[in-house]
Amino acid sequence: MEKDNSYWILKIRKRPFYIWIFRFLWVVWLVFWAEVALGSKAELEPKAFVISMVIFFVSLLIGLVLWLLRIKRFKE
Amino acid sequence: MKRRDFFKYGLGSAGVAVSGGIGGGISEVRSVSDASYFQHPWWVREIEKPKLGIDDSVYSRFEARKNVFGSMAKYYGLDNLRELSRRSREKTKKYYQENRPGYRLEDRALADAAWVISRQGGLNRGTRSWTRNFVRTPEERGVDKYKASPFQAAHLIKTAARYFGAATTGVTVLDRRHIHSEERGKKIVFEKVEEPYEDDTKLVIPKKCKYAIAMTVLMPIDNIACSPTAISSAGSSMGYSRCEFLVSGLAEFIRGLGYTAIPSVNDLGSSVAVAVDAGLGELGRTNRLISPEYGPMVRLCKVLTDLPMTVDRPIDFGLMEFCKVCKRCAEACPSGCVSYEDEPSYEVKGEWNNPGHKAWFEDSPKCLAYWEESTSGCSNCIAVCPWTKKDKTVIHEMVKAASAKIPALDAFFDSMDKSFGYGRQKSAEKWWKTNHFEYGIDTTQGKG
Repeated sequence: MEKDNSYWILKIRKRPFYIWIFRFLWVVWLVFWAEVALGSKAELEPKAFVISMVIFFVSLLIGLVLWLLRIKRFKE
Repeated sequence: MKRRDFFKYGLGSAGVAVSGGIGGGISEVRSVSDASYFQHPWWVREIEKPKLGIDDSVYSRFEARKNVFGSMAKYYGLDNLRELSRRSREKTKKYYQENRPGYRLEDRALADAAWVISRQGGLNRGTRSWTRNFVRTPEERGVDKYKASPFQAAHLIKTAARYFGAATTGVTVLDRRHIHSEERGKKIVFEKVEEPYEDDTKLVIPKKCKYAIAMTVLMPIDNIACSPTAISSAGSSMGYSRCEFLVSGLAEFIRGLGYTAIPSVNDLGSSVAVAVDAGLGELGRTNRLISPEYGPMVRLCKVLTDLPMTVDRPIDFGLMEFCKVCKRCAEACPSGCVSYEDEPSYEVKGEWNNPGHKAWFEDSPKCLAYWEESTSGCSNCIAVCPWTKKDKTVIHEMVKAASAKIPALDAFFDSMDKSFGYGRQKSAEKWWKTNHFEYGIDTTQGKG
């Protein structure tokens, strides 16, 4: 919202509907790799455990960065 | 009536019976919905005939003395075999002096000791006796023999088999060509007699024994993953000992119901062929059974009987297509005995193979020679197979289902399996420090 001398400009940014689909898929993706990581640990498969943990944390990080960027954009 | 038809029509009629207040239908509904009744996963398809065909003009009963254990000296050369044994003894001593993990005294003692129950039986011997051991017959109890519909009988037998240690159980009408023509120097014949018997020249199976119950026994995955060491060898022997308990227990159970039962593990006939017919799996690149639930991590055994049962159909879960592109077992085989051919064929590698069926035939003497060379046997082909998996994560089930339905993804799954480190040799030293399940197997595996 910017203030002008004579009037207010209201910028309304509506979140697109598909953002919720992306968020849902992201959560499913994270849960899936967490399950694979824990399962691999239980199966005594160290390499599979490490790879799934890496995929999990990289996905988590990418998702969080994108989310923060969007929040920042909204606040501008 | 086939099992699937029963579900289709049996459930419908039972539903009508229940809605009509007829009590008789209720027990059938209960038996169908009972969780103890084994079924393959949804991605496994039942088919009319095994996928790798049989040439009826060639396929016949195999002489057991031709198998690699019986004729190794002939196939490999007696002098070569003696030299191999000498080298093996030297290596055994060397590994012991080096204190090499997996080849220490405790490892070898474990491998030998795990045979203990298996050694109690043989073809019509000990626990694998063809006649009653001690169980009381219905006659002795003063009652009629067990009477039930073939479906109920199959259910009963599968539940009992599970109780005695079977991972999966299937029933088939016995193809007599799967039974050896001779063994232990005696002919095996089918005669119209009431009870099986053995005399100086022959072993007699009653013609009325029309059914074969095929069973898989899960081997300890953590042992086999240590292949080729004595720890993996202990996994194999444990599998055989559990087979022994299973077939002897189930045979006695069937006799207790008033029927004839002939228990067998690797003796008497091809357990692989019977198991394929009974829908327990498909024939893989190793020319052995691969089960959809456990891969090749199973030992097989069977019981012949005259108890009428509903039979199962052979299955297809896309294994043949997978084996065509995978070849992991061939790559992991130190002796080079597993075929690298793209397509299965009718061409056998030697007398040790029974001709007349399509397969990836193996060079068995090379395999057995390596067992001696390694000093402790070898299970590499079992350990590296991508179908050998525990079931602690959903991804394995997803991959198996996708492979069964979309063969185009097989090469991708194979390379992912390698990338994730599956099939790599595990440490025999760590094996001793792991808190294992009883018998080394997780009995909840494959139960959903």
